[in-house]
Amino acid sequence: MAVLEITGLTKIFGSGRLEVRALDKVSLAIQAGELAALMGPSGSGKTTLLLCISLILEPTAGSVVFDGETIYQDGWTGLDVRRRRREKIGFVFQAANLIPFLTARENVLFPLNLVGLDKKAAERRVRELLDYMEIAERSHYLPALLSGGEQQRVAIARALANRPKLILADEPTASLDTARGQKVMEMLKKIARENQTAVITVTHDARMIEGFDQIYHLEDGRLKNQV
Amino acid sequence: MDLAIRDLKLHKGRFLATIIGVGMLFTIVLTMNGIYRGNISDGIAIIAHTGPDLWVVERDRGGPFNEQSSMSEFFHYSVAAVPGVQKASPFIYYPVERQIKGESRRFSIIGYDVFGGMGGPRQLTQGRAINQAHYEMVAHAKLGLKLGDQVPLGLHTFTVVGLTREAVATDGEALVYLSLADAQEILFQRDNEAIRNQRLRLRHSLTQEGLSPAQADKLLPAVQPDTHLVNAILVQLAPGANPAQVAKHIEDWLYFSVFTTAQEIQLVIRGRLARMSSQLLFFRVLLLIVSAVIISLVIYTFTMEKIRSIAVMKLIGAPNLVIVRMIMEQSLFMTLSSFLLGLLIIHSIVHLFPRKILLLPPDTLLTFAVALLGGIIASVLGIWQVLKTEPAMALGGQ
Ligand SMILES: Nc1ncnc2c1ncn2[C@@H]1O[C@H](COP(=O)(O)OP(=O)(O)O)[C@@H](O)[C@H]1O
Ligand SMILES: [Mg+2]
Repeated sequence: MAVLEITGLTKIFGSGRLEVRALDKVSLAIQAGELAALMGPSGSGKTTLLLCISLILEPTAGSVVFDGETIYQDGWTGLDVRRRRREKIGFVFQAANLIPFLTARENVLFPLNLVGLDKKAAERRVRELLDYMEIAERSHYLPALLSGGEQQRVAIARALANRPKLILADEPTASLDTARGQKVMEMLKKIARENQTAVITVTHDARMIEGFDQIYHLEDGRLKNQV
Repeated sequence: MDLAIRDLKLHKGRFLATIIGVGMLFTIVLTMNGIYRGNISDGIAIIAHTGPDLWVVERDRGGPFNEQSSMSEFFHYSVAAVPGVQKASPFIYYPVERQIKGESRRFSIIGYDVFGGMGGPRQLTQGRAINQAHYEMVAHAKLGLKLGDQVPLGLHTFTVVGLTREAVATDGEALVYLSLADAQEILFQRDNEAIRNQRLRLRHSLTQEGLSPAQADKLLPAVQPDTHLVNAILVQLAPGANPAQVAKHIEDWLYFSVFTTAQEIQLVIRGRLARMSSQLLFFRVLLLIVSAVIISLVIYTFTMEKIRSIAVMKLIGAPNLVIVRMIMEQSLFMTLSSFLLGLLIIHSIVHLFPRKILLLPPDTLLTFAVALLGGIIASVLGIWQVLKTEPAMALGGQ
C-alpha cells in the first residue's frame, strides 16, 4: 500500500496577473521503504510540493491521501494535520534547523515529548537514535558547538524519533561538503531500508542519488519523465 | 525539559540585565508603597497615641492637625462640666523650627497639663515624665538629645528629663513635650520691643475712639491679646457615656466642633494625606506600566529571535499551546525574578531612608498580583507573533 498518494495536485499562488502556478496537476505515489528523489531547477516547485505533501500548505486542487487517510480532497478534510505531522512525518531541512537553546539530546527528545512518550522510553529512544546517527558522544552539546554535518545528523535523528511513515528532506546536503553530504544521504538510505520508512528528498546534486528507487523531475510545477 | 528556562539560559546576560532594571523599578514601587503607608502611619501616630475619647476643637475647624484650631484654655472647665465627661484637658500642638545643639531642626511642640492631664507621653524609653510646672522637657529620641541636656527655647532653657519614641509629629518629625504654660510661652512670647509696639498701637486705637489718654491707659491691660490659648481640649468620657450624645452636648452648648479619635484620624487621611496618597498611587501605576512595557519589549525581541525555531516547532507538529506556554513562562519568570530582586533590595535598604518606610505584606501581595498581571499582558505581543508565524518558514534556505 502506498504511504502517500497525491493526485492532480495543483497549487496556485496569487491571482490575476500575479498568478503563479507553482504545482500543476502533480500525481505520484510512494511506498513504504521507498527512496525517492525530487529534482528540478530553482523555482520549479520542489519546496511547494513538500509543503503540500507535509500538510503545511493548502493545495488549490487535487487530493492527498496519507497513510490511508484522505487529508485533502479539494479542501482540507478536517483531520488534525498537526497531529499527523508530529506522529507520522519527519522533516529534514537544508539547514539543520535545530532548536538552538536545546542540546542535541533534547532536540531529539522534543518530538518524543510532544507525543507524550513516557520518560524512560523516551530516553532509551534518544540514546538509540543518537547511536544510530553516530553522534552519541556529542549529545550534550548545544547545536552551535556542533559541525554542520553533526547538526544534520542530529536533525535526522529528530526526524526519526517518532518512527515516522514518511521522511521529507529539503536539500539536506546543500549546506554540506561532498563527503559529509554523502554521509547524510547514506543515512537516509539506511533509514529507508532498515525501517521501512518512505523518504522523499529534494536535491540538486545528481551524484547524491545513486541507488534511489525513484527520481522525479519537476519543471515549472509539472512532473517530467519519471525515471 | 523546560523550553522557557533553556532559552533564557542561552541569553543569560540580557535576561539578567532586564531583571536588574525591572527589579529596580519594582524597588521604587515597593518603596512608594512604604512611603505611602509610612506617611499615613506617621500622620496619624500622634492622634492615635494621644487617643482621647473626644477632641474638642474650634468650631467648624478640622483641627488641630488638619487645620489650625485656637480656643481659650479655660474652656476645659466648661467642657469638664458637661454631663458624661469624666475629664477634660487642654492640649497644644504646633510645629516649629528651632536651633537644637547649634543645628536648625524641625519638630512639633506638645503642651499639656503635666499634673494629671491627658496628652503627655505614656511610654518613655529613658528618664521620667515632666513633674515640674516649668523648664522640663521630654523629647523624641530622633532629636538626638540625651537625658540632662540643656536646651534653650524662647526665653528659657529646658532640661531633658525623659526620652520617648512613642509617636511622631504629623509630618514625621520629632515631638517635644512641655508643660502647657511653657508651650504657651514659647508660642506667644514676644520680646520687649514687640510688646511696647503693640501697646502703642492699641493705645492709639483707643484714643482715636475718643478716650482720653488716661482712660486709654486704664483700659489697656484688658484689651491685651489673650495668650491663654490652646489648640484642642481632650475629653475622657465617664464609663457608659454615649460619645455621640456628649459630643452633641458640647457642640450645642459651647459652640465647638467635636470629633472622636477615629473621626480625627479620618480628617487627616482625607485631608492632608489624601493628595499625597493619590499622587503616590498615580506614580506607582505609571511605574508598573513601564515595567510591563519593558518586559513586553524584551519578550518580543526574544520571541523574534527564535521565530525560526518556532516555525520549526510548528512544522514538526508542536501544538500552539506548547509554544505559547514557553513565551508566557518566560514573561512570568522574568516578572517574578524582577519582583523578588526588587523585594530583596527594598528590604536591605529600608533602614537607610530618613523617613519612615512601612512595608505591609498585603501591599506587597497586591503589588505582586498587579506585576503578575503585567507579566501576562507583556507576553501578549510575543504570543501574537507566535500565532502568526507560518510553519512553512522553516523550510527552504536560510
Ligand atoms: N508563498 C509564496 N507566494 C507566492 N509565490 C510563491 C510562494 N512560494 C513559492 N512561490 C513561487 O512558486 C514557485 C515554486 O517555488 P518553490 O517551490 O520554492 O521552488 P523550488 O523549491 O523548486 O526552488 C516559484 O515561482 C516561487 O516564486
Ligand atoms: Mg526550495
